[in-house]
Amino acid sequence: MRTQRRKTQSVLVAAATVAAIALTGCTVGGTAPTGENGDAALTILVSESPNLTAQYWDAAIARASAKVPGVKVTKVVGENTPAYAQQLFASGQAPDIFAAGIANGLAQQGKLAEYTRKELEDAGITDFTSGTINGKFYGVPTGAQAIPLVYYNKDLFAKAGIAGAPKTYAELVEDAAKLKAAGIPAFEIGGGGKDTWAAEFGLVSAVAADVLTKDPKWFLKRGNDEVKFTDPEFVGAAQKIQDLVKAGYNDPNAMTRPYADLELAFLSGKAAMYPMGSWFSAAADGKKVTNLGVFGWPSDQGKAAIPTVTGAGLNVNAESKHVDLAKKWALAFATDKENLDSSAITDGAIITVKDYVYPSNIGGLFKESIAAYEEAVKNNAAVPAWANITGDGALPPGFGDVLIAANVDLLTGAKTPKQFAEYLDKQYTVALQK
Amino acid sequence: MQTSLMRRLAPRNALYFLLFAVPGTALFAVFVLWPLLVAFASSLTNENFYRVGTSFVWFENYGRLFSDPAFLQTLRNTVILTLIVVIVPNALGLGIAVLLDRVGWVFNAMRAVFFVPVVLSSVVVAVIWQQMLKDDGIINSSLRSLGVTDPPGWLSDPSLALFSVSGIVAWQAVGFCVVLYLAGLQSIPKELLEAASIDGAGPVRRFRGITWPLLAPSVTIMMVLSLINGFKTYDQVKVMTNGGPGVGTTSTLAFDVVHTGIDSGAVGYGAAKAAVMFLIIAGISLVSLRIMRKREVDL
Repeated sequence: MRTQRRKTQSVLVAAATVAAIALTGCTVGGTAPTGENGDAALTILVSESPNLTAQYWDAAIARASAKVPGVKVTKVVGENTPAYAQQLFASGQAPDIFAAGIANGLAQQGKLAEYTRKELEDAGITDFTSGTINGKFYGVPTGAQAIPLVYYNKDLFAKAGIAGAPKTYAELVEDAAKLKAAGIPAFEIGGGGKDTWAAEFGLVSAVAADVLTKDPKWFLKRGNDEVKFTDPEFVGAAQKIQDLVKAGYNDPNAMTRPYADLELAFLSGKAAMYPMGSWFSAAADGKKVTNLGVFGWPSDQGKAAIPTVTGAGLNVNAESKHVDLAKKWALAFATDKENLDSSAITDGAIITVKDYVYPSNIGGLFKESIAAYEEAVKNNAAVPAWANITGDGALPPGFGDVLIAANVDLLTGAKTPKQFAEYLDKQYTVALQK
Repeated sequence: MQTSLMRRLAPRNALYFLLFAVPGTALFAVFVLWPLLVAFASSLTNENFYRVGTSFVWFENYGRLFSDPAFLQTLRNTVILTLIVVIVPNALGLGIAVLLDRVGWVFNAMRAVFFVPVVLSSVVVAVIWQQMLKDDGIINSSLRSLGVTDPPGWLSDPSLALFSVSGIVAWQAVGFCVVLYLAGLQSIPKELLEAASIDGAGPVRRFRGITWPLLAPSVTIMMVLSLINGFKTYDQVKVMTNGGPGVGTTSTLAFDVVHTGIDSGAVGYGAAKAAVMFLIIAGISLVSLRIMRKREVDL
């Protein structure tokens, strides 16, 4: 009996020990991370893509680390989106730095460190027009994108007897008709499956031209309920897009093409015009395509819409053990000349850092995109890229996906422009309430 | 004497039983039960990634669900997809299994061929089929070359897209049904079939009278698994149609839960949808099991 009791006790002690070890292993957190030589160890979340390869990131990280002693930065590859960032924070795995802008939602919860205006100005930042959350900066705005511009195939235009880019909306429609008569689809507007986002750039362009060139603060007003999607100017812009598609000016096969195929279709001459973000110029120049031009979608009055957004990436985790060092490193990364050059050449980023000079080997189409952007900024004609801005002035969370889905109904005729606008108004209210 | 020995051994046996059961139970509690409870608790709140502060709203999320036309459409889509994913692979799988229930290297090779889609990632399958089914993909190009001037918009036609996605999910599941039904067929004693044959029963009569009743356990398992998988379909929808074309035409329950809770940040509302999804799957599975078990026979 005594032997049995001792055996039982031994088994229980062993089981308790195993359980304690297992529970200790599950504990989150620990001592402040340090690398070799006592360097502060930081992690940065990046997203690898055909434009931003693993080699690009490794080299960029190494350059920034060379400028900030006492830091060892390790790359973590994942999806650089606000939703994924939320998951990382919830599971205690958030890195110290996020490469791309994920501030919306996290900044409001106090999870991101704030950059002061002075810190940014001292680092050479000049563009403070976008990327704020409640007026504060949580990222480093160094690179703008025009989303979208309209890229066009000069050879196809010449084949249809069109001399140059249209200056007014009426000319745009006329050119589309000439292209159709020549057997050429005028537009490559589409995107299938998870790439349906690409199909909204026709609508984004038309709204930018017809609504935002007259009132750049229209979407801020929508947020305050001062205007509605059912107002005539928005419905009119939606009507124009639906009319273009109904008239047969869009490539009929575009709607189900994945993004990569969409881009390839335009580059191989399957359509003449392609509303797309300015990052496309990097892809076209990279493939040595030289017969493309670019213009801003024109309004009836001839004002070219250049919707722009300056990305405010390099958000720093407020819970990082080395916040100040992480911010210092992030600023060094963001303003490193070679990183900026890389960003310009591989991703078509229009650099907004003071005294920045583009490298001599940038492509011709990218140069034209920069020129269009700089002209718009100079003439006060740059409007917000309303479907892509984050933070202040952005569409409510979740509404972007609603817009993308409803836009397909507009393009296919499943919804009339008025029904489309009514649906957006209703869903906007729902998105604010969620 | 034997009874008193068993009584003395009982506490030690119970202790050993507990020690062996605890690790598995602990894993289940930590990775299944606890997250379920947390998710259910979240469904009673207005938790949102983009809003600071969370408060209890009790069953308000559930009330919203059943008056939300988008959710009701999602439910409808899921039911249609699940019906297709349950009926088609099981019917085809059983038919193919019957045909492949023979000895020979050809039949072994055919079994491997049918099983290949099962081992592929559902994302890979979806990407491949998206390329084939897009408006200028290989299927429509072939149809055009055969003189079909206006081939179907497999993924772009809102009235067709759901059936296209369902078809792909069903196609991938056929192989698994084949393998399971083959195993079931091979467990049926051959003497019964031989005896029936001697008694003059033809192939159809033998199948109805012997094979079908004895296959009941396999049918039960496959139907319930197919049902659960149908309700959980996400990957193929995300890759091929992203819930479209248009608003919610191919959105399924699982897709809607992820979209609401993660993409839109409405964690509480998404958790309510997930809870409803769990209850539907659990309820239908239990009912199906009960009904189908009744026709199982023992030899």
